[in-house]
Amino acid sequence: MDESTRNLILWLTVIVLLAPLVSSMLITVLTRRIMFQAAGWFATLVMGGVFICAVVALLQWMGANATGPVVGSLPWIPIPGTEAKWLYLGVVYDSLTAAMLVMVTGVSALVHLYSIGYMHGDDRYNRFFAYLSLFSFSMLGIVVANSIIMLFVFWELVGLTSYLLIGFWFERRGPQLACKKAFVMNRIGDAGFLIGFGILFYQLGGKVLLPAVTGASSDLNMFEAILAVIEADGHSITNPPAWLTAAGIGLFFGAIGKSAQFPLHTWLPDAMEGPTPVSSIVHSATMVAAGVYLTARIYPILTPEAHLFIAIIGLITLVMAACMALVMTDIKRVLAYSTLSQLGYMILGLGVGAWTFALFHLITHAFFKCCLFQCSGSVIHAMHHEQDMRHYGGLWKKMPFTGTCYLICTLAIAGASIPWTALGLSGFYSKDGIIAGAFNYGSVMEQAGWWGSLFWIGPVVIAFLTPFYMARSFALTFLGKPRDEHRYDHAHEAPWTMVVPQVVLAAMAIISGFFLWKGLIVAAEPSAADGIPIQAAAAIEAKHDGHYGYGLHMTHAVLLHGLAWIIAIGAGLLLYVPGFKYSSKIAAIPGVNLLYTWAHNKFYFDALYDVFTVGLGKTIAYIARGIDTFVVDGLVNLTAWLGRWVAFGTGSFDNRVVDGAVNGAASVTQRGGQLLRGAHGGRIRGYVLLLFASSAVAMLAVVIVIVANLLQ
Amino acid sequence: MFEIGLTHYVLVSIVLVAAGVVTLLIKRNAIGILIGVELILNAAGVNFVAFNHFAHGGVDGLMFAVFIVVLAAAEAAVALAIFLNFYNNFSSIDVEKADGMRG
Repeated sequence: MDESTRNLILWLTVIVLLAPLVSSMLITVLTRRIMFQAAGWFATLVMGGVFICAVVALLQWMGANATGPVVGSLPWIPIPGTEAKWLYLGVVYDSLTAAMLVMVTGVSALVHLYSIGYMHGDDRYNRFFAYLSLFSFSMLGIVVANSIIMLFVFWELVGLTSYLLIGFWFERRGPQLACKKAFVMNRIGDAGFLIGFGILFYQLGGKVLLPAVTGASSDLNMFEAILAVIEADGHSITNPPAWLTAAGIGLFFGAIGKSAQFPLHTWLPDAMEGPTPVSSIVHSATMVAAGVYLTARIYPILTPEAHLFIAIIGLITLVMAACMALVMTDIKRVLAYSTLSQLGYMILGLGVGAWTFALFHLITHAFFKCCLFQCSGSVIHAMHHEQDMRHYGGLWKKMPFTGTCYLICTLAIAGASIPWTALGLSGFYSKDGIIAGAFNYGSVMEQAGWWGSLFWIGPVVIAFLTPFYMARSFALTFLGKPRDEHRYDHAHEAPWTMVVPQVVLAAMAIISGFFLWKGLIVAAEPSAADGIPIQAAAAIEAKHDGHYGYGLHMTHAVLLHGLAWIIAIGAGLLLYVPGFKYSSKIAAIPGVNLLYTWAHNKFYFDALYDVFTVGLGKTIAYIARGIDTFVVDGLVNLTAWLGRWVAFGTGSFDNRVVDGAVNGAASVTQRGGQLLRGAHGGRIRGYVLLLFASSAVAMLAVVIVIVANLLQ
Repeated sequence: MFEIGLTHYVLVSIVLVAAGVVTLLIKRNAIGILIGVELILNAAGVNFVAFNHFAHGGVDGLMFAVFIVVLAAAEAAVALAIFLNFYNNFSSIDVEKADGMRG
């Protein structure tokens, strides 16, 4: 790659990063009058321009045919006494960054456009777009960050802006609690991130702060460089120093918080309290994508034990969330749990070594999940902010565009394909790869014990459940008879600013499976080492290439997938097109009803956290109160009693001797006070003026003295 | 392009101090006053970093800048707690209302 292409890509990346920040600040600084109505279109056009920049950078990158990352760094803060010398601020651009930048900016631009329609008439219309652009800026910062510190800064910014956006309607109690919960849950994960970083820093010193390595060995990104340092010490990823597993799991905890994995998943469904465009961007391009992206970046330093941990977390989230999605009646909550479940797929994919397909799924999922949320937003908009599917039904006739988009994305998330062939929607390709990876990892882990099989049984079972619950939500919303005639009569198709993004995203949900990944994500895959999951990764690729190479050569995963979606969608439609007539009977069967209640109450995680954290806090508070009442108060009372007796003695002395002196002093002071009371106006600005005026006079006096001295 | 030197940084901090003082003087909203104070603190921070870079070297000045940031955070927490109580008492955060200590 020549110098000019390199510079062009770097400058485009910097523009992509900073333009949303500038647009956000302009909307904030310019007054309400100038920027109120224009805010939406302004922010949308900026994001559109940024998207074009990202695409140009991608084309330049693909044309240049480079292997290693392009890095531009500026020294920022000096750190004497370490190898790094400086903390760097800058951008790094490689294949993964290229794909992520295009996806994030594209989805974000469409969400901006959608918000113009959705937020129309809101009192804080302009502020919403300022926040939304800031949110995109933070996510883009994570994607291009060139050192762990910079990554962490943007990581926290994503946390902050998600807090602002989820709590956008802060007048209401629900959003207040939801944004606080999201923030606290993320802090818990971030503590893990800091611990992981601390371990790395303690063991490796300032080397971990170096940016991605440039120059001769230019094919190393940040964490590959760290792995190289570890290998230079005579270790390898299969023979790691003991602390490396802990560091990897610690950093992964950050991802657990951001990507809402078990056990910190409870904030994501509550985040539904935010405006729907926020849900659609949080659940696709930003925030939850950040966790998966981080896990993908730290992949080179993950030991086999850390991989096992990640795979287990992914598996638990995947299964648990899909079960909860089955029973929810709030349309946004169904989608929220479906996101959790799909994130479980991605994290499981990273755990089992299907790196390429996990990230591929991240990108395809961003398109169809964003579209699903936008469709749900249009439906909610049309139904006068009713979110409960029990009041929906039959909306297809009223909202044909939204219905079609929802159907396409339902098929995409279901992994729909033409059975016995390798032709399908985007979700088919990505999920298929993850399941193939899970098969592979499962077959390796089966040698360790029976539980190894769970790693492939889980994703395969959920491959049946996903189409089922999505078909359920589709049937309840768009098919059957309207269950709320009044709302149905007033329903209407959304304005074009809301329909256009949906259509574009639905189109992407169909076609994004065919491109974007082969050249890009595969090229970004961390260089292989001899770990179990990494062996599995090589095997997956072999299987997959074989499958696509021969066209009809099926893996188990493809076979299951080609049939699973038909069976499950058929079952879902059959059961739910008549409304809740049959399903309520099924839910009442003894045994099933127990499971139903369990899942309906989100497996009691919120209650559990309530008992453990709030309950623990209360218990400690009770004990502290006991100590306070008996020990501290006792001491205080004792001192008081002693003090009282001493006071009797001193009191008589006081009355006679001291008071005389005091009264004399008091009358003097009173007169002085009368003179000075004018200065105490009680107005802060008066004080401030006095303060600064007197210091100005003092300075003036100093200057005069100096000048006088000079003149002499 | 001209070389950016110490003078320019000091000018920036003078502008910040001036902006902060003016904010203190003209704002009646307590939050606005807090913002003014933050501006003045940050002007001091800019001075520390600039003099450290051009005159002193090492990281001592940077450390002080970090202390200022921490101090500002602590100050903001205390000030916001005061404002909250203020609001509970006066149902507003207009500092002109707090004239209970007028002589």
